Amino acid sequence: MRAAGTLPATARIGALVGGPSLARAAIVLGAGVLLVIVAVVVGVGVGTSGLAGPLDAAGILAHRIGLAVPVSWSPGAEQIVWELRLPRAVTALVVGGGLATAGVVFQALLRNPLADPYVIGTAAGASLGAVAGLMVPTLVPALALGAGTAWWGIGLAQVLAFAGGLGTMLVVYGVARTGGRVPVVTLLLVGYAISSVLAAATALLMFFAGNRLGAIFGWLMGSLGGATWTDLALATPLVAAAAAVILVRWRRLNLLLLGDGPAAHLGLDVEREKLILTVLATLATSAAVAVAGTIGFVGLVVPHLLRLVLGPDHRLLLPTSFLGGAALLALADTGARLAGGVPVGVVTALLGAPFFLVLLRRTRAIGA
Amino acid sequence: MALRVLRVIPPLIAALLLAACQTGAPSPSVVASSAIPSGASGTGASAVPVPATHYPVVVTDDAGRDVTIAADPRRIVSLAPSTTEIACAVGACAELVGVTDFDDYPAQVAGLPKVVIGAQVDVEKVVAAEPDLVLAAGNGFTPDAILSQLDDLGLTVLVLYPQSADEIGGDITLVGRTLDAGAAAAREVARIDDAVASVRTAVAGADRPRVFYEVGVFEGQIFTAGADSFLASLIQIAGGDPVTGDATTTSLALEDLVAADPQVILLGDAAYDATITAETVAARPGWGEMTAVADGHVLPMPDDLVITRPGPRVTEGLLALARAIHPDRFGG
Repeated sequence: MRAAGTLPATARIGALVGGPSLARAAIVLGAGVLLVIVAVVVGVGVGTSGLAGPLDAAGILAHRIGLAVPVSWSPGAEQIVWELRLPRAVTALVVGGGLATAGVVFQALLRNPLADPYVIGTAAGASLGAVAGLMVPTLVPALALGAGTAWWGIGLAQVLAFAGGLGTMLVVYGVARTGGRVPVVTLLLVGYAISSVLAAATALLMFFAGNRLGAIFGWLMGSLGGATWTDLALATPLVAAAAAVILVRWRRLNLLLLGDGPAAHLGLDVEREKLILTVLATLATSAAVAVAGTIGFVGLVVPHLLRLVLGPDHRLLLPTSFLGGAALLALADTGARLAGGVPVGVVTALLGAPFFLVLLRRTRAIGA
Repeated sequence: MALRVLRVIPPLIAALLLAACQTGAPSPSVVASSAIPSGASGTGASAVPVPATHYPVVVTDDAGRDVTIAADPRRIVSLAPSTTEIACAVGACAELVGVTDFDDYPAQVAGLPKVVIGAQVDVEKVVAAEPDLVLAAGNGFTPDAILSQLDDLGLTVLVLYPQSADEIGGDITLVGRTLDAGAAAAREVARIDDAVASVRTAVAGADRPRVFYEVGVFEGQIFTAGADSFLASLIQIAGGDPVTGDATTTSLALEDLVAADPQVILLGDAAYDATITAETVAARPGWGEMTAVADGHVLPMPDDLVITRPGPRVTEGLLALARAIHPDRFGG
């Protein structure tokens, strides 16, 4: 971003399609992996009960993966580490990584600094789906099936959230397409308009939600509190596959940064690429939202933050954003847990936004 | 978005605390309580021998779930102040190992570990308490997501959600059966039945004024007794005709309140907020025309806690309501 405005076009293209030096990339990625490991260790080792400390947690994990470790902890501690803290930390990684990756893609595709994973209606569609899913047991008691609303461990709200996110993106994309092209501004505006309609429908459902309102608010604010291994088993392959396919398309994302016209001149099938990248980013977003609700901030700010530090090259920006988003959300969720269960989006914004502002001012000062 | 959402939370919690639930199948605990001769005098009820509980026992809770109690529970976590009071009423106070930060009665529970803070259930703390029984509250007071998570963790969860004075007795009987404390539960139920009977006698034949019980007013939303809630049933027993709100959210539109034209307004929220008085209520736009305001029948209810908490102290709450609605029948 620093260089983009000042270099001549040819040099810019060279910088964008080339790559970072291997040594620098290795250091940055190594730091990212280390940060993720720290986030998981902290997330698994601390909690509100004080029953399972970091040493117990390490022992329990070693025991669980089959190492012969003397058992010095209570069954409750093992349950806390293995069934509460670990799935929660790993879900935070998957969700945070998926959202940050999707944020990178949408910011590049739409060339809009305010773009986030939810910008073309994914969040509004997923919210409507989730709210509908949460209300079905009230409206149609026969579908409630026992105590929870789960079928084979998958909540109806999760299925509908995923479908709602993906379906909304497809509708928005279809409406925005004119003459075989999808202009970026049209896509943003259609996304905004359809989001408004869906948000109104969600508000209408909430008006009739009665005693489900608490569950709905919890979902809309985003939470990793209900994370289970089952949820994770469903979301992880989707997020991982989408992020991996996005990563191998880093060169095309770099080209798209130049604008639709220049990218096409350089031989990119721009419309096809936009659709592929939009679908991939929406898949990751919808899977993340289905397990954790609409967690804000991570997908918007992590890509910006890393772009300020590392520059706009997607070869490095994509993997570091995944790692950065994963670590940030895992650390923020640990903070949220220790703070008595406040919404994790509040923690990410409270801690991340001031840091981002400082970095923004410092970088701009250097640039000027 | 987040801020807007957060502002809605306090009324929501208040609403859920008080909420009535859907009308429909009678709760199983009613069936359970019918085993105790209802309306019998205290001596009569305690004369009926209560069988000891043989474990494992299967009980049906107020969410309609069949819950298997493997052995006499020794470590109990209570996720609501009302369920804490019920456990203590049947003599299980010493077996509580986790309560909420709202718990204040009996005094001895104040020192127990808090597993619910600010209405948020801390599942890790619940697991760490290693309970063999978790008492939860229904109608979303303990969120469904938390209930299913506790189920998945293999904990034994009993959901209590009484919708009338009788059902409070039913829940006490249910907990008594669960904890092999049937005799203590029967004494409590008889005590409540006696109190209900004596209040009914005291207000018999009196006019039944329309009573609006104000649980709270938040951002223009008015919360009161929900239709078919235990609070509405208490007002009826106390000789009033309750103005009720929605069965699950307990909210009521101002227009509907004005149309219902209550003759008595009882300010439960005045117990926590000194700015809520008969004068400030009369000054609210649209409230001045109601009969209760014109006649000066707007009363603060310092006993709100025992009126709105569906536990054994419902007898005190009932008496406070009856005294407020029919002061002439209580030497007032």
